[in-house]
Amino acid sequence: MKNKPVIRFFVRLAAFSIILIAADRLAGLALKKIYFSQKKGQYSQTTYALDSARQDILIFGSSRAARHYSPSIISKASGLSCYNSGRDGLMIPYAAAIQEVSLARHIPRLIILDISPRELGIDRTKYERLSILLPYASEHEQLMKYIKEVSPFEPDKLVSKTYPFNSAAFIMACNTLLAKSVTKDDNGYLPLESSLTKAETADYLKRMEKRAKKISQKTEVAEAKAVAYFKQFLDNAAKYNIKTLVVISPTVLNNSFELDNQMLERNLIEKMTGQYKNVTFLDYSKDPRFNGHSEKFADYFHLNIQGSTEFSQLIAQNVKANI
Amino acid sequence: MLYPNTLHQFMLFNSIDFIIFYVVVTTLYFVVPHKMKWMILLAASCYFYMAFVPIYILILGFTIVIDYLAGIYIENEQSPRRRKMLLGISLAANIGILVVFKYFNFLNLNFDLLLHKFNYHNPIPYLRILLPIGLSFHTFQAMSYTIEVYRGNQKAERHFGIYSLYVMFYPQLVAGPIERPQNVLHQFREKHKFDFSLMQSGLKLMLWGFFKKLVVADRLSIFVGSVFSNPDIHNGSTIVIAAFFFAIQIYCDFSGYTDIAIGCARTMGFDLLTNFKRPYFATNIQDFWRRWHISLSTWFRDYLYVPLGGSKVGTGRRYLNLFIVFLVSGIWHGANYTYIIWGALHGLYCVGYVAIRPYLPSPQNKFAAKLVRLSGIALTILLVTFAWIFFRAASIHDAFTLVRNLRSFGAAPFIADGLNNFAQCILAIVLLFLLEYKMEYHPGKFNFFSSPNIIVRWGTLAFTILWIVAFGVFNGGQFIYFQF
Repeated sequence: MKNKPVIRFFVRLAAFSIILIAADRLAGLALKKIYFSQKKGQYSQTTYALDSARQDILIFGSSRAARHYSPSIISKASGLSCYNSGRDGLMIPYAAAIQEVSLARHIPRLIILDISPRELGIDRTKYERLSILLPYASEHEQLMKYIKEVSPFEPDKLVSKTYPFNSAAFIMACNTLLAKSVTKDDNGYLPLESSLTKAETADYLKRMEKRAKKISQKTEVAEAKAVAYFKQFLDNAAKYNIKTLVVISPTVLNNSFELDNQMLERNLIEKMTGQYKNVTFLDYSKDPRFNGHSEKFADYFHLNIQGSTEFSQLIAQNVKANI
Repeated sequence: MLYPNTLHQFMLFNSIDFIIFYVVVTTLYFVVPHKMKWMILLAASCYFYMAFVPIYILILGFTIVIDYLAGIYIENEQSPRRRKMLLGISLAANIGILVVFKYFNFLNLNFDLLLHKFNYHNPIPYLRILLPIGLSFHTFQAMSYTIEVYRGNQKAERHFGIYSLYVMFYPQLVAGPIERPQNVLHQFREKHKFDFSLMQSGLKLMLWGFFKKLVVADRLSIFVGSVFSNPDIHNGSTIVIAAFFFAIQIYCDFSGYTDIAIGCARTMGFDLLTNFKRPYFATNIQDFWRRWHISLSTWFRDYLYVPLGGSKVGTGRRYLNLFIVFLVSGIWHGANYTYIIWGALHGLYCVGYVAIRPYLPSPQNKFAAKLVRLSGIALTILLVTFAWIFFRAASIHDAFTLVRNLRSFGAAPFIADGLNNFAQCILAIVLLFLLEYKMEYHPGKFNFFSSPNIIVRWGTLAFTILWIVAFGVFNGGQFIYFQF
C-alpha cells in the first residue's frame, strides 16, 4: 500500500500523543499535590497570601519587603496582626496581583508597599517572573491578566498540566525533601543573616561610581505599564479607603538612585503617592542610620537581621502614627 | 528606519508560530506532486524570511539574481580572465551588501573618530537600518556557489527556483549550517517520499535541539545576561561563573538551533552538513575548531586559508595565514572590536598551538595519556572561555572591565535570580555533560531514544518532553547567532 508509512506514522503519533497527555496529566497532578502541600518556603507564602491572609496589616513588595519587615515587631508595637507577602525577585506587577486577589477576600486596616525606583524602570524580567502565578490560574480568574504579561500565549500553554509548575521543581523538592533545613518564615518575613564588610561596600561604591559615569548620559524613562500597575495598586487601596504606607527601604549607599540613574522613577513615586489622601510616602534611602553601615546589610540590596530589626521598629512607629 | 514586522517579530524556532508553520509546510511538502515541491519550499522560505522585515527579501533577491547569472556566465565563459572578472563581480556584490548592512556604521564610526582627532567633522551620515537577519550566513553560502562553479566543482544551476531555494532553504537560512552546493543543490531535485525512519530521527533531533535551547541555553542566559549587562558591579568569582555559563550557553544555543534545522530538513528528506561535534571535549584548540561551527571553519579553510597558501608555505607565512583566517572569522561575526579581539585571540591560540605542537611529549602509558587528554580538555575550555568574554561583552570597554574585575576575587559570587535558577543551571550543565559524554565516549551504549523496546523508547521521549516543559525557559529567547 502506497501510504503505509504515512498511516503508520500517524497511528504511532496518535498513540504517543495519548501517552504523552496521560503522562502530563499524571505529572501535573503529582506536582500540584506537592506544590500545595508545602508548609515552608516562598511558594507556600504566595499560596497563603493569595488564599488565606486576613491580617490587619498586609505588606507587599519584592525581596526588599520579604527581608526588611518583621511582622512580629510591627504587631507587637501596633497591637495589630500583620503578614508580609513580599517575594524575592518579584516587583510591582506581582504586588498588584496579590493585592487584587487579597482585597477581593479581605479588607486590611493598613497596607505597606515596599517599592524600589527600579521597579518602574524598563525591565522585562518583572513580567517574565509573573509566571510564578501559573499554579493559581485555575482558582483565581483575576490572575489571568497578569499571566498574559509573561506572554500572550501563556493561557494556551496551560493546556499542559505540568507547565504551571515550570522551573518550580527544584525548590519544591527542597521544600519537601529537605523541609527541616528550610527556614520557616515569620509571617512571611525571611531575615538574612550575613553581613557586608566595609571593604565590600567601598568596592561596590567604586564600581557603581564608574558605572554611573557610563549610564548618566542615558535618557531616563519610566515604563508606562509598570507605572500603571503602581497606580492600580494605589487606586485599589484608595477605593477601600485603606491607610497605605509606600516605603523605599534603606540602601547601603546614600546616593544609590542617583548612581543608578533612577531619580526620575524615585520622584515619580513621590509625586504619585502625593495624589492620594490615604497614602503616606516614606523614603529611607538617605537615612544616615543605615547608609554606610555595612554591618546592617547582608548584601548590596538587602538589610540583614540587625538592619531589618531596627528598620521594622521604625516602620512600627509609622504604623502606630497612621492608625 | 526599518523596523521588524510587528505582527510576527521573527519566526523563532522556539515559538508556537514556528511549530504551526513547520507542520503546515511539511504536510504540504509531502502532499503536493514532486514537480511542485520546490515551489512550496521556496514560498515557505520567503514567508519565513519576510516575517522579520518584509522589504529585506529584495536584498536576498538581488544577491540571488547576481549569483545565479554569475554562475551561468562563469560556466559558459572560456576566457580565464573573464571568468575571474565574473567571479569578482559576484563576490563584490555579496561582500558589498555585507559591508553596507553590517560594517558601514562601524567603519564610519572609526572614520569619525579618526577625523575627530584632527578636529575635522565627518560629513558621512550613519545608516539607520536593521541588520538583515542571518545576512552573513546566506551571503557566505551564496559565495561558495559561485566559487565552486568557478573552480569547476559544481555545474551552474539553470533552474532559478532551485537556485533561489539553495540560498533560501528556510531551516538553514538564518544561522546555517553554511551549505556547499555539491551537498545540497542536487537534493532539491531528488524525489523525497515520506520516510518513516527519517521523520522519526528528524523529530528526535529537533527535540534534542529544543532541549539544548530551552533547558540549557535559555536557563543559563538569565544568569549570564544579568552579569554581562552590569560588568562594573560584579566581582571576579561572579564573572568566572558567568563566562563559563556563557561558554555552555552559546554552544547549546547555536548547536540547539543547528539540531532543529538539521532535524527539520531531515523530516522532509534533506541531509544538511554536521556543524558541531561536542566541541568542549576537544583536547586542543585546533581540535576545538574541528568540532565548533564546522561549516564556517571549513568555509574559511577552503575559500581563504587555502587560497592564501595554506600550510604549503614557509612557517612564518603559515602562521600569518592562520592568524588572518581567525581575524576574518572574528570580523565575520560582527562589526565590533569585541569580535575582532575574539578572533585575534583564537588566531593567537592556534598559532601558539601549531608552533609548540612538535615539542609536546607523547605520553608513555595509558594513565599519562588520560592525564594529558584531560589537561588538554581543561586548558582548551579555559582558553575558549576567556575568549568568550570578549565575544559576549556589549563593548570593548565592558570586556576590559570584566577582565579587570576578574582580579577582585574576594566576595562571594552574585547569584542572580536566587538559588533556584542557579541550581537549575547546574542541573542543566550536569545533564548536558552526561549526555555529551555518553555520545563522545560510548556512542553505542544507552541509546534509549532508539531502543528496540517501545516502552523504553517512548518512555524516554515522553520524559524528555515533560522535562523540557518542567525545566525549560519559555520566554521566547532569541538565538544568539541570528544576529550574524
